[in-house]
Amino acid sequence: MTLNSIFVLVGFVQIALVTFMQWQTYVSSVIKTFSVGSYVLAAFLLAAGYVGHEPYLIALGGFTALIRAWFIPSFLSRMLRRDRWRAREIKPVLGIASTIILSLLFAVFGYVIYSWTMYDYVHSALGAIPIALFLQGAFLIISRRTPTTQLIGYLVMENALYLFGFLFPELPFVVEAGVVLDVIGTIMISGVIVRLKEEPAQNADVDDLTPREDFTELRG
Amino acid sequence: MIWIYYLPVVLSGIGGLLCLVPRTKFEEDVSIIASFASLASSILIAFLPNAASFGLYVDGFSKLMQIMISAVYVLTVIFSIQYLEHIENKLFQANLYFLLLNLFVVSMFFTVMVDNVGLLWVGVEATTVTSALLIATDNNELAVEATWRYIIIVSTGLTISLLATIFIYGGFHTLSLNALLQAPQATKIVSVGALLGIIGYGTKGGIFPMHTWLPDAHGRAPAPISAMFSAILLPVALYTIVRFVQIVPMQSVRNFAVVLGSLSVIVASLMTFSQRQYKRMFAYSSIENMGVALIGIALGGNAFIGSVIIILTHAFAKSAAFFLTGNVLASYRTNAIRDVKGVSRTMPLTGYSLFFAGLAVTGAPPFGTFFGEMLIMTRMLQVYGVWFTLFIASFLVVAFIGVNYRVIRMVFSEPAEQSGKMDDNATVPIVSLIIAFSMVFLTPVVYYFLKGVVVR
Repeated sequence: MTLNSIFVLVGFVQIALVTFMQWQTYVSSVIKTFSVGSYVLAAFLLAAGYVGHEPYLIALGGFTALIRAWFIPSFLSRMLRRDRWRAREIKPVLGIASTIILSLLFAVFGYVIYSWTMYDYVHSALGAIPIALFLQGAFLIISRRTPTTQLIGYLVMENALYLFGFLFPELPFVVEAGVVLDVIGTIMISGVIVRLKEEPAQNADVDDLTPREDFTELRG
Repeated sequence: MIWIYYLPVVLSGIGGLLCLVPRTKFEEDVSIIASFASLASSILIAFLPNAASFGLYVDGFSKLMQIMISAVYVLTVIFSIQYLEHIENKLFQANLYFLLLNLFVVSMFFTVMVDNVGLLWVGVEATTVTSALLIATDNNELAVEATWRYIIIVSTGLTISLLATIFIYGGFHTLSLNALLQAPQATKIVSVGALLGIIGYGTKGGIFPMHTWLPDAHGRAPAPISAMFSAILLPVALYTIVRFVQIVPMQSVRNFAVVLGSLSVIVASLMTFSQRQYKRMFAYSSIENMGVALIGIALGGNAFIGSVIIILTHAFAKSAAFFLTGNVLASYRTNAIRDVKGVSRTMPLTGYSLFFAGLAVTGAPPFGTFFGEMLIMTRMLQVYGVWFTLFIASFLVVAFIGVNYRVIRMVFSEPAEQSGKMDDNATVPIVSLIIAFSMVFLTPVVYYFLKGVVVR
């Protein structure tokens, strides 16, 4: 199995995971799915680094596993545990079925757009996968109202670019490290803002609510 | 001597970290010292030769940006000290406010001096991280919502510019700004990168169609932060676009920038008429100014000089305008234009200064914005002909009327009967306005600094 075919496999796994996120009602499931996707990405980078004897990729894989797959999902999950009323998606903009169909259509649209516009310049058909993933991440932001899920959408877009960057070998490590640090900063700051945002309705006894209860009741 | 170029970043960074020392008012003293030291070092750097080594890329344009950032930094720190007392329900303590403010400035200094397109992205994204919480200083629901929109829209937009960076790397196999500016021929992949870069960084610069975060953030942030956003954050985003246009000076890229700049001018000019809140109105005025500046950047030559003159004049005039809106808000306790009457009677210094600030940000002569717009329009006339130039110029007139009509109504109308004299400390905005006015006399200096930088 060549590295390119593994790249395709990893790309399709990412697309499948984002589609899976689209039908999740519970935010914690979205976070866990993102974590799995990041671990897959990290494993790919580590394997590519090991096979190609490139310490830069190994370091990047380790970084991805540590920050994107473990730290950020843990941070977001802890935030959810503190505010249990956030655990369920608030009135999605679209119904689940239409969201999934649209998400898949976005993936196809990404492929078509890439083939028409960028393929001639990048000279690699593989680029279509991260671009499709990029658009799916953007759609996740648009289609959800919960801030945490929107953040995950942003992170999916970042993961897509990570995957895209792989097509251009030796992209300077200092830049990639800087990007990761910025993502951490964005997530931490967003964490503060998300906590301030959308406080539960007054007089609602949120401790008595389980995540499975309909959030619309809480919102009044 | 190379270490001198790092001074603005280091001094403001140290100032920021010292804000964590738990001593009463210490953060204020430290921030004032750090801001003045940064200004002094920026002026010193202006007299040194250009630098393109040790991770630095400092040319005439960078030097002007550094001076502008540090001057607005000084004014904002001084104004913040008095303004914070008016905020009742602060999200955090004053020392955290000044810590973030200093770090925000560090990220902007970093952006305008770094010799790497990838790190340029890191710097711009870092401005989001450091500035987001500052918008929510007022700690109310609307401020928090505005902060969230800022984070999610700007971060999403910046992922597009990250994609652009990858494309640039794909085309040239280097991210060094110095090497990229000397690269022989731009390939098609690089031109796609430049187009994406203009959209992505345009998000941060308040350029249509990704400008939607800007009126919310400017409208809800405390006055000194609105001033910093409008005066220096938007130009820092445009700085990155200048670099992209310099790297890829293709006609298609320039035309694309002209289209986005023109749409920004059109949309913002029309929107100023429907605004009911003065801070949002000034925010749309910023979008209009950045749109004009983007057109000048794309046209190159003297139009680029015009853009830089607009950026510099707008920085001080808009700072003054936002500082003054802070005074108005603190006294009148309302954001609504219709509820603010007779400012020239209740707060004469604030009122008259606001009137002149309104003129300055909308391109009235003799302010630099007017001459900048003239340079851009002259070049536009040569490139796109008389009808398109008249079309864009008519929207500049629309923005001029839209802003000044409302400002005049606020300033010169009859005050409400119960209004007496109000707190009228306008020293900082007046200084800022005087600097804005002086910009027109500094045009030869701008020419001198931009020698060799002018977009081809």
